[in-house]
Formats: sequence, C-alpha cells, structure tokens
Amino acid sequence: MLKNYLTIGWRNLMKDKTFTFLNVLGLSVAFGVAILLSMAAFFDLSYDKFHANVDNIYRIHTLEQTAKGQGASVSHPAPFAEALKAKVPGVDRISRHVQDDALTIYGDKELNLDAVWVDEDFFAMFSFPALKGNMDNPLENQSSIVITESTADKLFGEAEAIGQTVNILISGEEQPFIVSSVVADNPPQSTLEFEVAIRFEKHYEYSGNRESWDNRYHDIYVQLQNGVSPEQFEKSSRPLIALRYQEQIENAKRDGARANADGLYWQIGLLSMTDVHFASFPNGFLKVSRTGPYLILGIAFLILFIACVNFINMSIAKSAQRLREIGMRKTLGAQKAQLFFQFCSESFFVFMASAGIGIVLSILLLNDFKTIFRTDVSLDMVASPWAISGFLGVVLLITLIVGGYPALLMSKLGTIQSLKGKLDASGKNKVRDILMVVQFSIAILLISGTLILWGQLDFMRNKNLGYTKEQVISFPLDGKKNSYEAVQLLRDELRGNPDVLNVTAADNNLGYGLDGSSSKSLYGYEYKGRMVRTNFLTVDYDYVETLGLEMVAGRNFQRGFANDSLSVVINETMARELGEDDPLTAYVMMNDSIQYPVIGVVKDYNFERLDKAIEPMTMFINNNWDLYYAYVKVAPGQMVKTMDAVQEAWARIEPNAEFLGSFLDENVDRTFRREKVMATLIASGSVIAIVLSCIGLFAISLLVVNQRTKEIGIRKVIGASISSITFMLTKDFLKLVVIAFLIASPIAWWSMNEWLKGYAFRIELNVWVFISAGMLAMVIAFLTVGTRTVKAARQNPVKSLRTE
Amino acid sequence: MLLQLRNIFKWVNSGGQRLFLLKDINLNVEEGEFISVMGPSGSGKSTLLNVIGMLDNFDEGEYEFLHEPVHTLKEKHRANLYKEYIGFVFQSYHLLDELTVKENLEMPLLYKKFKGTERRAMVADMLDRFNIVGKKDLFPTQLSGGQQQLVGVARALIANPKLILADEPTGNLNSAQSEEIMGLFKQLNSEGVTIIQVTHSEKNAAYGSRVINLLDGRMIK
Repeated sequence: MLKNYLTIGWRNLMKDKTFTFLNVLGLSVAFGVAILLSMAAFFDLSYDKFHANVDNIYRIHTLEQTAKGQGASVSHPAPFAEALKAKVPGVDRISRHVQDDALTIYGDKELNLDAVWVDEDFFAMFSFPALKGNMDNPLENQSSIVITESTADKLFGEAEAIGQTVNILISGEEQPFIVSSVVADNPPQSTLEFEVAIRFEKHYEYSGNRESWDNRYHDIYVQLQNGVSPEQFEKSSRPLIALRYQEQIENAKRDGARANADGLYWQIGLLSMTDVHFASFPNGFLKVSRTGPYLILGIAFLILFIACVNFINMSIAKSAQRLREIGMRKTLGAQKAQLFFQFCSESFFVFMASAGIGIVLSILLLNDFKTIFRTDVSLDMVASPWAISGFLGVVLLITLIVGGYPALLMSKLGTIQSLKGKLDASGKNKVRDILMVVQFSIAILLISGTLILWGQLDFMRNKNLGYTKEQVISFPLDGKKNSYEAVQLLRDELRGNPDVLNVTAADNNLGYGLDGSSSKSLYGYEYKGRMVRTNFLTVDYDYVETLGLEMVAGRNFQRGFANDSLSVVINETMARELGEDDPLTAYVMMNDSIQYPVIGVVKDYNFERLDKAIEPMTMFINNNWDLYYAYVKVAPGQMVKTMDAVQEAWARIEPNAEFLGSFLDENVDRTFRREKVMATLIASGSVIAIVLSCIGLFAISLLVVNQRTKEIGIRKVIGASISSITFMLTKDFLKLVVIAFLIASPIAWWSMNEWLKGYAFRIELNVWVFISAGMLAMVIAFLTVGTRTVKAARQNPVKSLRTE
Repeated sequence: MLLQLRNIFKWVNSGGQRLFLLKDINLNVEEGEFISVMGPSGSGKSTLLNVIGMLDNFDEGEYEFLHEPVHTLKEKHRANLYKEYIGFVFQSYHLLDELTVKENLEMPLLYKKFKGTERRAMVADMLDRFNIVGKKDLFPTQLSGGQQQLVGVARALIANPKLILADEPTGNLNSAQSEEIMGLFKQLNSEGVTIIQVTHSEKNAAYGSRVINLLDGRMIK
C-alpha cells in the first residue's frame, strides 16, 4: 500500500518538475536558514549554563539614588566582599573579579595574557575543569596561578607546565608565580574569559585600596547557600550597607535624591549568573534582555513559516489536478483516513528530503555564517541527541500541520464532486489569500527593518564624532617599559617622518581596538555642596591636537607650564554640570583637599558609543598615572605606509610586544558590530523572505492562470484587450500585497521606533522608508506575477477554449 | 434478490424550490440481470447509478443491498459494502494517469487488503484474460480509448464483484471499440455478473435483458 502511495506521489512530483523544484527549493532553503539561525540563538541562550553551580551564583551590583535619579554599578570596593562574607548570612562562596591584561614573562617569551584576578573560591564556584595539577584549590597560595591549556602550550610548548615559574609584570615590577593547575580552555559560551587566573591580592590596585571603601574597581560573584534566596540575602545586607555607605547616603539625601521603592538610597542587587550575559543598566535600571537570540529565533520561525505557507498553498492548488484520483480512489473503497494518510505521507517525504538538503546546506554554509554573524556555534553542539531529536520532532510537527491541512481538505471532498473534477469557487480561496497576506507582511516588515537599520548604521558611521577618526592610529602600550618613557621614545623614533603629524597617549582607547578591550573610569567629588560625577581620562601632551578636538575656552595642557599636572581640561557637558558662568573659574577636587583648576574646555565629542549621550569628561595630565594607548596622527595620502612605519618604530621600542594598531574609524566601526550583525541578519532574512514569498506567489499565479484559461479565452473572444486581461489577473495578487503593506507598516514603524529609542543619536523615522519598502515588495510581486499573466493574456483564445 | 430500491427520492434545493433529481424510484434487481438505463440528458440516469453504487446519497426511501439496509448504514460500512461487491466503469475511464496499467489494476486490491502474492496473481490473471499482458507497463495516456476502457473494465472486475455499474461505458469510443466492450459485458453477464449500464444507444441497450426508461427523475414504462 505504502509503495503504491509512494509510486504515485513520486510520479506526481516528477510530472510537474517546476512545481516540485520550487517547493523543495523553498523548503530546503528555509530549513537550512532556520537551522543556522536557531543554532546561533540556542548557542547564545546557553551562555554560562555549563557551570554546575549556576543556579546559586549571582553577580552583585549596587543601585544608588542620586539627585539625578538612579545609578547602577557593578564595581565594588575591595573590603566589601570580605564584609559580606563575614556579616551577611547566606554566603557559601564569594570571589572578587577584575579582568585586566597581565604581561607574562617566561624565558625570552613575553605574552600579554588576558588575566582575571580572583579570590580562592573562584574555581570552586565556577566549573572550569582542571586538566592537570592541583584540582582542589589551585589558588590557595597567593603565588599560584592557573592557566588554560592553550596558554600552557604558548608558554611551555611540550614541556610540563605544572610547577613552572613565570614572571608577571605588576606595577612595573616582575613578580614570580608558580603554575599550580592547567584548566581546559574557556568554553565559547562563557561570560568569564581568561588565559591566566591570579590571586586578587596581587592586582596592582589592591595594596593601596585594601581598606578603602571609596575606590570601586572590581566585580563580585557570590554563591549563596542552598535555600537562600537573593531577595533574602539583599534584605540581610541592609544593615551592613547602611553602616558602610553612611556618608554616601547622607550626601545623596542632602543633594535631594529620592529614596527608591524600598525606601533606600543605597542597595545591592543580585543578578543570576544565567542572566549576566544578557544584562545591562540603561538609565541606572537593571535590564535583562534576551531580545537578540529571540529575534533570531523569530526570524528563523518567520522564514520557515513563509516556506510552509508556500507548501500549503501549492498543495491545495495542486489538489485541483488530483481530484479525479481522489474520486477514483474513493470509488474503489478508499476511506478518509486512508486518503489523509496517503497525502500526509507524500508531504512527509517532501519534508524529509527538504530537511535533509537543508541540513547539508547549513553544514556547507556554517563557516561563512560563523564569520558573518560572529558566533562560535559548532556542529558538536548540535550533534547532541537532544538537539537531533528536537529537530526531528519539529520537522514531524511541521509536516503534520503543514502536510495535514491540505490532506484533510482533500480527503474530505465528496466522491461525485471530485470525480467530476470540479472544485467549488476555484480562483477564490480565503485561506490562501490570508496566508499570502501574512507572507508579504513579514517580507515588508523585514524590508523596512533592513532599510532603517542601514540608515541608522550609515548615520552612525558618518556622523561627525567631534574628533578626527580617519587619520589617527591608536594602539595599546603593552610592553615592559614605563608608558611615558615608551611614548617619548615613540616620538623620538617618528620625529623624522614627515607623514607623522602628532603623537600622544591616554589611558583609554576610542572605540574598540584590535585588543578588543574597553574600559570606563568614573570619578565623583563634592563641588560646592553637591556630588559631581565625571569620566576620568589621563592624557599625555598634544591629546587635543592629535585628535583634532576643538577648544572652546582656555587652553590645552602645554609643556613648560609646571602647574598643568595639577590642572584639568573638561568638556562642555562637564562645564554645564559645574554650572559656572565662566567654567575657567571652576575646579575639580582630588583627595578631598587639592583643587585642580579648570584651564580649558573642549567641545563635546562622542568618546563613547552613539547609543549614549555625551557624559561629563575631565582630562588629567599626571606622570604617576599610567597611559595605556598611544595615538599617532598621520598625514593623508600615505596612511598605509605610515602605519608600517609606526609598527616598525614600535617594534624597535618594544621588540617582544605585539603591535595591535588600527585607525580610529575602524575602532569606531567595531563598536557597531552588534548593529552590523543585526542589519546583516535582518537583511538576509528579508531577502530570503521575499524570495520565498515570490516563489509561492509565482506558483500560485501559474495555477490560477491555468484554472482561468477558459475565462481568459471567453473574455478575449468577447473582445477584451491583452492589457485589460493582464490587469485583471494581476490585480488580485497586488491587492494582497497592498493589504500586507497596510498591516506591516504600523508594526514596522512601532518596533523600529522602540529600537531607535535606545540610541541617544539616531535618525528620524521617515514615512518614505515604509512606502519604499511597500513599493519594493509590490514591484517584485508584479514582476513575479506579470510574466505569467501577460503570457496567458496573449494566448490565442481558440487554443485556450479548446482545452475544455 | 441482489438489490431493491423502494420509493427513492433525491432532490436539491434551488432558489427556495425543491428540484427533484429522482422521484419515487422503485426497482428490484435480481442476480444475473443485465439492465440498461435509458433516457434523455438530465433525466437522472447517472444519479440513479450513483445512488445504486452508494457514491451518492438519497433523501427519502429505502435501499436494500443483499438484504443490508443501505439507508441506515454508516459511511464506513457502506464503503466496505460497495468495495466488496460493486465495480465501476466510467465513460472517461478514470484511470490514474500516473500509474501503469498493472498498477491501476492492482489499486482496488490494495484497498481490500489482499496480500502481495495474491495481488500479483490476480493482476496477472486479469491481464491474461483481457489479452493486455504486453501493455502492462504502459501508462494510460499511451493507450487508445478502447484499450483504456478495457483496462477500466478489467479494474472493475478484478475483485470479483457481484455487480458492475457502467456509466455510458462506450460514450467516448468508436463503433468497433463499442462493440468489443459490449461483447465483453455480454460475456461477463453470461458468466453470472449482474450489470447495470447507462446508455444513450438503442443498440447497446439491446445487449441487455431489461430496459429502464427515465424522464425527469421518474421511471416510465
């Protein structure tokens, strides 16, 4: 029986090759794309879940009320973690955590390793399995370090790593450490990343801050005892907070801050480790958002949906040609269930074949996909029995729904009616029309999303950020030498080069450099009876000139002015914050006693991402604070050559350090990575959506035209012109696109508006974007349908009438 | 008695009025009869045949087939009944274009759950009997009309039905082909198969043992 079904199913598929090809093509592409997208989404959603204790681990943040509203921070002072452990019940394990580079020296090897500086408990809390060495408490001794497998390879090659001594540069001094354990490389879905783990006490900030409650510079992760809820823990922490932050709370009250919903001015919050990867603090409020992966899943679903709609529509349309078969089978005694099973099994095989091709497609495209969308998914992850059975389950479910619906319709047809080969109300079909409207709505939604995303990206890329980004190279100063010495050597090296215009340095980068790190330093002090907060930037001479910033008042730091190291240059926002008529009379207070007068004001520039408004900024020049990035301004024209010259100069100064230089416009571009990935994703999604929708539209138009051959013939005999017939046939389809446009546009407008709200600097939404998206869909639909309808309209009426 | 129709009415509602397709039909068919149903277009011939074949319902009256009251049976039982005892032959053959001659013949057996070996034997037997062994792997479109109808009759016969219902079996055939098919019916009838055919042609009707005339859904003598 099954063989008979398959034979006839196969021959039916082969009889209409165009149709079958379109159907299988659409489904395979949709399956392939959906597989890739859901792999990426599930990869993202599985972040940090590999830790065995993940359900009890939390990251601690503080929520503080200021006169300007709520502020949030994940940075804490050094004694806080110990105080929590000692004073607040419920702590099982706790670890402070700072991520920083560590210049690691072994023999003649100098490696700038990605380091975490953590407490003893770290490896008991988090699951980074040890491969060799001390498995129990690898950081028990302050002179112990833990390295990853690939770091061990880099440092020691084939030699045994355990017990080796390496030197790490801390505050300009080489200190010896012993490798106590080698752990597996960090899994790709880990928020915590490191190549080497060092005891927190060894961090250069620690010695000066071990008792200080003012300097906040590290994260805290806590593992609560079983049965202790984060809410309980927060409540128990309140007396400690009230005691330790008494001064800050008083200040907040004085400045006019309002208490939060719990009646508190200073409060800690606990964020589950599973949420850390998805958390941010827009406007001082915690926001855990998994929109990204869900958006990706949503697009995967939409694409699959479109392909399934095609399948349903085509199957129903095709069934008209199989009415006689249905009737005949019923006459021979076939029952409803048997017919249903027959058509369902045909669909099942089409689906299985498509899913198979889809899997092959996704494997072929996996590498490109990983590069374009910057995800670390791998086939190993997908090859788990859970994933495979899940996938099969989904395919079966889809087959049942998508194959079942047309099968149900067909099996329900009456015997006589189907034997006569007549389907009532041919040409008009409500379900089909609704499904096609939904299809095109999705396509239009995605097209307008693409246009707006591109618009915003383009805007961000071309916006004048207030500094010269095209001509300035920045690179990290990560050698052994003191940074001021290194910058001075660099100046000397490059002095003779006419293409180098300026050299300077600062303790922070602009955008993301090739080292991929970013940081933010905030400083708060009391100015005339209220708290003022500002970004804190240490610069070298010529910073303003090198970056092409504009002075609006006063002057920049200059050599020869002895007092400049006790002065500051601020930006306009900071000047407004200080509220003086003449900002040059204002000052910044350091260490509660020394006033640093403002000697200059620079025009505001976007030193952070464009989703953030420009914040107050204060620049210091002080040889005691290290610089981390050098900036070199080069003449236009020979920029690539000059880059090489800079690299060579740097290699002479720090022969063992890697040169990670890049132009600032590249750095800025890297900060849009998220938007770019999203734009590429939605753009590819919309292309696939529109192509699939058109495949469906094309197939349906083919059938409708066939069904109406007689009508077309009669109309022509009566005297209708080719154009009027084309119009009549095309109109019905275009009407659907217009309805889709009316449905999709408001949704697109609303969602894009919500998205743009996240950007302090953004484009205005323009009606024309939506209209052009609609027009685009319309034109594509017209071209798809038009070719068929014109052909049908041109046919000799005698021929079309004869077919009856 | 093979079947008995008592006061059968069938109608459709059209514009608030009842349009009768069959009106008070009473008919007894004995085993071994060869009945021709005649009448002008729209007189209800095909409808009557469909009612007898249980492909179509009726609105009023009683129908007994082999002493089973068809009008009270559920659809599933009815289907079992007709697939067991009735074979259909159509004017336009209604062979499945996607299947070969052999596969077309096999199809009714599939729905009756015969075993594979049995099916092959029965198909081979039928091909032999109708002299179409050489055509078993051809598709219907590769055959002439007469040959297609031959396959159609073979398909109707393959499961040994008691009754064959033929709706203008020669309507699409030329005279030579018609004679061949009618001769075949005559022979089958002499072998004991009951046949009811709808026809326009007096000549074909003459092959039968009894003629029923219909006019506007009514039987006239």
